[in-house]
Amino acid sequence: MNEKDIRKSQIKRTVFNVILYTFLVLVALFVIIPFYWMILTAIKSDFDLVVVPPKLFLKYNEIVFQNFADAFERAPFGRNMLNTLIVAGISTVGTLITTVFAAFAFARLNFKGRDLLFIVLIATMMIPGEIFVITNYSTVARLGWLGGNNIPQVYSQALLAMTLPFMTSVFYIFFLRQSFKRIPDELYFAAKVDGTSDFKYLWRIMVPIAKPTIITITILNAMGTWNAYIWPNLVTDNASFRLVTDGLRNAYSELGGRTIFNEQMAAALIITTPLLITFLLLKKYIMRGVSRSGIKG
Amino acid sequence: MLERQSNLKAWLYLAPALILLSIFIFYPLFNAFLISFFKDVVIEDMSTDGFAGIDNYSEVLRNGNFKNALVNTSVIVFVSVPLSVVIALFISVGLKSIKKLQGVFQTIFFLPYVTNAIAIGMAFAFIFHRDYGLLNTMMGWFGVDPINWIGAGATWGRAMTALLIFSIWGGLAFKILVFLSGLQGIDKQYYDAAKIDSAPRGRIFTKITIPLLSPMIAYVTITSFIGAFKVYTTVVGMFGASMGTSGNPRQMITVVGLVYSYIGDIGEGGTAASIAIILFLITLAFTGIQMQVSKKRVHY
Amino acid sequence: MEVKLQGITKIFVQKDKTEVVAVKSMDIVIPSGKLIGLLGPSGCGKSTTLYMIAGLHKPNEGRIFFGDEDVTDMAPEDRGIGLVFQNYALYPHMTVRQNIMFPLENIKVPKPEAVIRAQEMADLVGIGDLMDRKPKELSGGQQQRVAIARALVKKPRVLLLDEPLSNLDARLRLQTREEIKRIQRETGITTIFVTHDQEEAMSISDEIVLMELGVKQQVGIPQDVYDNPSNLFSAKFLGTPPINIFEAIIKSKKVVLAGNIIGKSKAEDQDVLVGIRPEGFEVDEKGSLKLTVDMVETIGRDTSLIMVDPTKKGETFRAIVDSQHRIKPGDVVKTNIRPEKMFVFNPNTGQLIN
Repeated sequence: MNEKDIRKSQIKRTVFNVILYTFLVLVALFVIIPFYWMILTAIKSDFDLVVVPPKLFLKYNEIVFQNFADAFERAPFGRNMLNTLIVAGISTVGTLITTVFAAFAFARLNFKGRDLLFIVLIATMMIPGEIFVITNYSTVARLGWLGGNNIPQVYSQALLAMTLPFMTSVFYIFFLRQSFKRIPDELYFAAKVDGTSDFKYLWRIMVPIAKPTIITITILNAMGTWNAYIWPNLVTDNASFRLVTDGLRNAYSELGGRTIFNEQMAAALIITTPLLITFLLLKKYIMRGVSRSGIKG
Repeated sequence: MLERQSNLKAWLYLAPALILLSIFIFYPLFNAFLISFFKDVVIEDMSTDGFAGIDNYSEVLRNGNFKNALVNTSVIVFVSVPLSVVIALFISVGLKSIKKLQGVFQTIFFLPYVTNAIAIGMAFAFIFHRDYGLLNTMMGWFGVDPINWIGAGATWGRAMTALLIFSIWGGLAFKILVFLSGLQGIDKQYYDAAKIDSAPRGRIFTKITIPLLSPMIAYVTITSFIGAFKVYTTVVGMFGASMGTSGNPRQMITVVGLVYSYIGDIGEGGTAASIAIILFLITLAFTGIQMQVSKKRVHY
Repeated sequence: MEVKLQGITKIFVQKDKTEVVAVKSMDIVIPSGKLIGLLGPSGCGKSTTLYMIAGLHKPNEGRIFFGDEDVTDMAPEDRGIGLVFQNYALYPHMTVRQNIMFPLENIKVPKPEAVIRAQEMADLVGIGDLMDRKPKELSGGQQQRVAIARALVKKPRVLLLDEPLSNLDARLRLQTREEIKRIQRETGITTIFVTHDQEEAMSISDEIVLMELGVKQQVGIPQDVYDNPSNLFSAKFLGTPPINIFEAIIKSKKVVLAGNIIGKSKAEDQDVLVGIRPEGFEVDEKGSLKLTVDMVETIGRDTSLIMVDPTKKGETFRAIVDSQHRIKPGDVVKTNIRPEKMFVFNPNTGQLIN
């Protein structure tokens, strides 16, 4: 290869890199702009909100925080966040318990009908959740958890209605079973010889070894609760029982044409921030977890 | 002992999960099929005015709302999924071939995944605002007159465009992540060999990356299609619970949206169930076709 | 603790419902306090036998006794055994100390005592200073010692080792071999270990149990089994380089190989297989067996002669002779066969013929 060819290929590579980085930067901007717009709008005064053309940057003295106060006044977002944490906690603990036991049975125990039952469970993952929602709504209504005629729903009923249907998950059972299956048989034998019962083996050996998967399930479940809209929206009526997402949507649903986008964005920011902060703190776990769950064992 | 059958013990371990699944998955599934053949089912107490045959189904199929919902859903499925898969593919391959800032880009591209669809949907709604929105402002720099994207009286095409952009935005993160981990799994040797054979980048992409990534692409495409058929929350995020522009509720309604609106209407349990089941059948048929196609296309 | 197996049979049912007999009517008595090697090629049922002694597999027939106690139906956790796995099976999330203490925890030994016992055991196997490491921070040899310490810490009645050396490199294997012998002597625990490596089994076992295809072939002190193989399998399996087998006949109480009389036999006239150990050939001017040398390999004290097989065209075999003989390829040498290195077998049953 002569010098000219080398120069040519260098130029080609540089041009390629410039194009590539430009493309990536543009997509990154496309991804980030909505967040920027949310933050920017949340700190705009009512006056700046309706300036045409809209300001794309705010000066230091133009920033207002009144919108956040207004948002908290309009709807009990603090309470909603607490509810979300409680519901996420209950449903995660519940899910983990049922999932760990079931995954253990499928991965480690030998029983009649195991493979058939497993296939039946896997098949239910194909079915859209809406089919279940119809009857589940009726079930919680008939259990009296939605309150009755003139009897308001109480908090514990709302919590039960929001958590119990989600205390187990076929996908997580499947996911955890895969991790359990990867634990070599020898470890089970060793534990047997060391004098361990099945129950103790499960909690002392399998669960700690499958910790990455358990963390993933916890993260996915907590994120799912934070973003849950449909079911909590169906089974709670009282604003202070709501979770963040349906709390947010309901707070700004019936305002008609009035433009209070700045307050709305402040509220959106209030409920977006905790999740984003959690993500940045646990980035490694979350991204690994989501990609692991995405590839399905 | 490992080899011994431990029936009783196994069922005890399974009991908590199975009881919950029976109440909240198996029974509802059976019940949904059942009530889809009954008249005026009140969901709260499951009372009914008797057997309806296939009336619920035939009414649904004649219902204009259902047609709208089906059209809206299909457009979202068949436009946003292929587009986002292709874009995500380019992004992940691009990301893989850069050295600097890879981590930063990766984090940024993942952000939509950890974002509340309702909250960010509201932000998008304001981006598309006719007077104060960011998009019209930016288009104004190029001399384009303000467009009424999603305001009162917005046309279906514009509202749909806005919704599609939001859907693609929200769908990229997961796909990029999965593709990246798929690319991670491709043996570097193939690329080294291709380099030695002095294959140009384009050929490496079409002859090595795409074929080796094809199982992942098929997987992501199928799951995204299934997911997109159930689109609902994104629409509520952008358009609110009315699922339409102001003055034109249900303009953007989706099939799942329609199910929920019937769940909310008294005595429409059978209708809601029949729509849900139609959706299930559509998804099932579609997944079947997809799997057949990808079986032929997916390499190894 | 004496371990006794009586008529043990193990049948595995495979996925396609076919049955495989892994161990067949096995009777062994393992004397108390001895180190016994279960030896055989892979798939011979030796690991299955070990797992049945451990209680991880249940025999289809037969009984297993520890001393006078019938343990056949006893769960592994109640048998009081220690087991070292081929890949050690250390709990990856626990430190060395936690691994060693785990069995004590299960029998509810108070923690302070457990800590002391774990430390003692770790010192015994020479890993006392690695107690706070995780298994993945240890070398193969160290992991192996942790596994032994974990198996020994609860003072088991019987110690079982499944291919304990197979994952170690050659140098470490020699060293660990001695170590296992030492630990076994010091603790005096009846120890049974499984291996496919005859050299390993012969070097440390008090006795070996030779197995093939689920059937016990021969039991005895290693050198005895080598010197007096009771059948063709035993003769072939022990010894490196392996024994040479020839087709021969017995005629008039003489063993005749390719027309040459090479020894005596009390048996009737018949076709036989003759096994001659490589060191059984003696170069002698007056030797009865004439052999053509194909190749010569001199390594120190010994000379390996690759000889042309007089009974099979195109085949060769190996003899080891003193290096004082100056032999070149192509030479024809006369040899005598040392009678104690020659064994005559029935070609159909493989049994030894006197």
